[in-house]
Amino acid sequence: MLFNSIEFLIFLPVSFILYWLLFRKNLKIQNTLLVVLSYIFYGAWDYRFLALIFLSTLVDYLVGIQLGKPEQRHRRLWLWTSISFNIGLLGFFKYYNFFADSFYELLEHFGYHAQNQFTLNILLPVGISFYTFQTMSYSLDIYHKKLKPTKDFIAFSAYVSFFPQLVAGPIERASHLLPQMLNKRKFNYLQAVEGLRLILWGFFKKIAIADALAPIVDDIFSNSDSMSSSSLFIGAVFFGFQIYGDFSGYSDIAIGTSKLFGFELMSNFKFPYFSRNIVQFWRRWHISLSTWFRDYIYYPLGGSKGSKITTIRNVFVIFLVSGLWHGANWTFVFWGGLHALLFLPFFFIHKAKWNPGLRINRLTDIISVMLNFLLVTITWIFFRAENLTSAFEYLKRMFTDFSITPYLHPAGYRMIDYFILLLIFTGYEFLIRRNERAPYPFKNKWVRLSLYSITVLAIMLFYDDQVDRSFIYFQF
Amino acid sequence: MKKFIIKSIAYVVLILLILEGLVRILHLYDEDPPRFIDEAGVEKRIPGNEGISVTGNRIQNHARFHINKFGYNSFREFIPTDTDKEIALIGDSFIQGFHIDYTNSIGKKIEDQLPQYKVFEFGYAGYDLADQLYLIHAYDSIFKAIDDVIIYVHYPDDLYRDDYEPNQDRVNMLNSPLFKIRDEIKLLSYASAIGLVDPIKEAILSIRSSGHTEVHDEISDSEKIASYLRNIESLFTKFPPPAQKTAFLIDGEHCAPEIVSLLKSKGYPVIDYSGAFAQSEKPVTLIYDQHWNENGRKIIARCISEYINSKKSD
Repeated sequence: MLFNSIEFLIFLPVSFILYWLLFRKNLKIQNTLLVVLSYIFYGAWDYRFLALIFLSTLVDYLVGIQLGKPEQRHRRLWLWTSISFNIGLLGFFKYYNFFADSFYELLEHFGYHAQNQFTLNILLPVGISFYTFQTMSYSLDIYHKKLKPTKDFIAFSAYVSFFPQLVAGPIERASHLLPQMLNKRKFNYLQAVEGLRLILWGFFKKIAIADALAPIVDDIFSNSDSMSSSSLFIGAVFFGFQIYGDFSGYSDIAIGTSKLFGFELMSNFKFPYFSRNIVQFWRRWHISLSTWFRDYIYYPLGGSKGSKITTIRNVFVIFLVSGLWHGANWTFVFWGGLHALLFLPFFFIHKAKWNPGLRINRLTDIISVMLNFLLVTITWIFFRAENLTSAFEYLKRMFTDFSITPYLHPAGYRMIDYFILLLIFTGYEFLIRRNERAPYPFKNKWVRLSLYSITVLAIMLFYDDQVDRSFIYFQF
Repeated sequence: MKKFIIKSIAYVVLILLILEGLVRILHLYDEDPPRFIDEAGVEKRIPGNEGISVTGNRIQNHARFHINKFGYNSFREFIPTDTDKEIALIGDSFIQGFHIDYTNSIGKKIEDQLPQYKVFEFGYAGYDLADQLYLIHAYDSIFKAIDDVIIYVHYPDDLYRDDYEPNQDRVNMLNSPLFKIRDEIKLLSYASAIGLVDPIKEAILSIRSSGHTEVHDEISDSEKIASYLRNIESLFTKFPPPAQKTAFLIDGEHCAPEIVSLLKSKGYPVIDYSGAFAQSEKPVTLIYDQHWNENGRKIIARCISEYINSKKSD
């Protein structure tokens, strides 16, 4: 079920009323309702996916109990059971064909012409990368004795399948979300209002920014060989805004919806395009994933405590794995590698220099932000392109074939509208950049009311009924 | 909880009111003059309506319309005389011309090229050949006084019927309280025009149609063309277009040659504008819409004027 669908428009208020009016007295029943609602939400895509999430929940629940036993002698074995199962699920559904195809391509490269008989017709379950990481973190935290296992299977199921963040995050840690599932929730007026505000802002980012830019980006990337360098530049910049609007919009709706049900999820985006370098960017972009990799891969590998060579290796490992996490394509791996290369120079200079705070009030700050945005935009080309050859060709044309021609929207809309929209959007985000959870931080209620109305009007002005309304990160 | 629900509802109402105001001030909504079926059984617009037709979310196109006393969008009232030279231009939304100011219509462009002529534009969105021929039949006395009749045939949409029946259901639906409310609440009218209400409509339709499976018979192209030819024959028998003065405006590039041959064999000239469109260096249609743009309308006006001139010289 998509957030931006008529089904969700009915599902959300009905769930809200059931949750707070009919089921609020008994925590167990309330959690059961959450599991049922989450399974309905997830099963709306394909009911067959439910078996996978249930299995993943069951395995980690049982592993957690085993790991929590003080007399347990085979803790490592149980941990590897969880990791193997979750990575196995991911590996089979997401990466099997990728590795099978890559293997055959490699054989072809060395002159062996063999027929690829191993490629399978596999349907990728929506959000599998998100919930497998969530369940794995539970087992890992118990293994490292940072968390005690729960015996409440319903609460644990609600934690794994919690519908607002199930298919595209934020990837919640059990230590943060599970205690909220285990404790009685009380309706909080302010929390619910904050939730509604975030939902509205999330819809704006998704519909007025991401969906509105999608046809332009698709057009430019699919016809890049006939586009002028100025159009290619527009395509890359617009994709940067599209993916930000799409993913951070989803996160805002997820966090806002969770607030309506009395839960606080972690922040996933903190205005990443106002970062002054790539290190800052990664502290503010898809935070739940980058901290996951930091805690469960980077630190266990030794982090930055070993030699410089080890640190470089560790940085490359997390970025390459992060790239692969995004999709079974070499373009994502290359994108991860590029970010590692951009990341390393800052990493070896003094912390005060690479982590200069959020201040943007000097010309040098503005230049740093713009330069960083340009670098991130260039890396997005690899993220968006169909394959590495197209990405390099895109870049080559963008930087060598200097020509400026006006780009025409594929449906004939005025392009100036989009530039104005992005300018206003950037300006407003700059204004509210202190708190990513308060998109309407103004005290005067009439100002807020006007802004709500303008937000809805902007959604209508840029609503495109022809566009594919699904979220980009569902495919990951 | 109660406070949250009450305040949420209050905010939603206030936001909707503000949006209604903004949509009205910015004139984001499209105006569609009301329709009716007159005493002669012809579907047309209610005379005297004026307004602005708007296309797209962000006013990608806007144009003033003016419904004359006869019920059509035109800069001119239709008062044919025996002394003046008159052309009747009949067609669907392409001729209705809600995409351009009524003062700059195809008819006006023809008059600019043929100063001795007056052009009466009988354009109405949704007209097909049955509507067009019935119109001439119903107003026989008026059309007798008109010197030339140009009928625009949009292939194949205009050839699906073999008889005329006024579309009372559509007129009733558009005049129903539900549609009147939609037209009065400009926010709803705007939301509906930009497709924001479509998911709700689709959901209702899918609930209604669940359990019903429609069977579509595959019809070959030749069978389709044969049915169009039969429809033309049937309509020509029932409502024969006035001989000697009627011509058909057709896009020969997209129209089946059998249709053109049939019209010619019956002695009706065909004004094929496809060649002129193909030669044009500039686009001929609106970029967000299939209707003719300023350049397209100029070309159409030129093709019709050239036909009238060639007829005069013959």
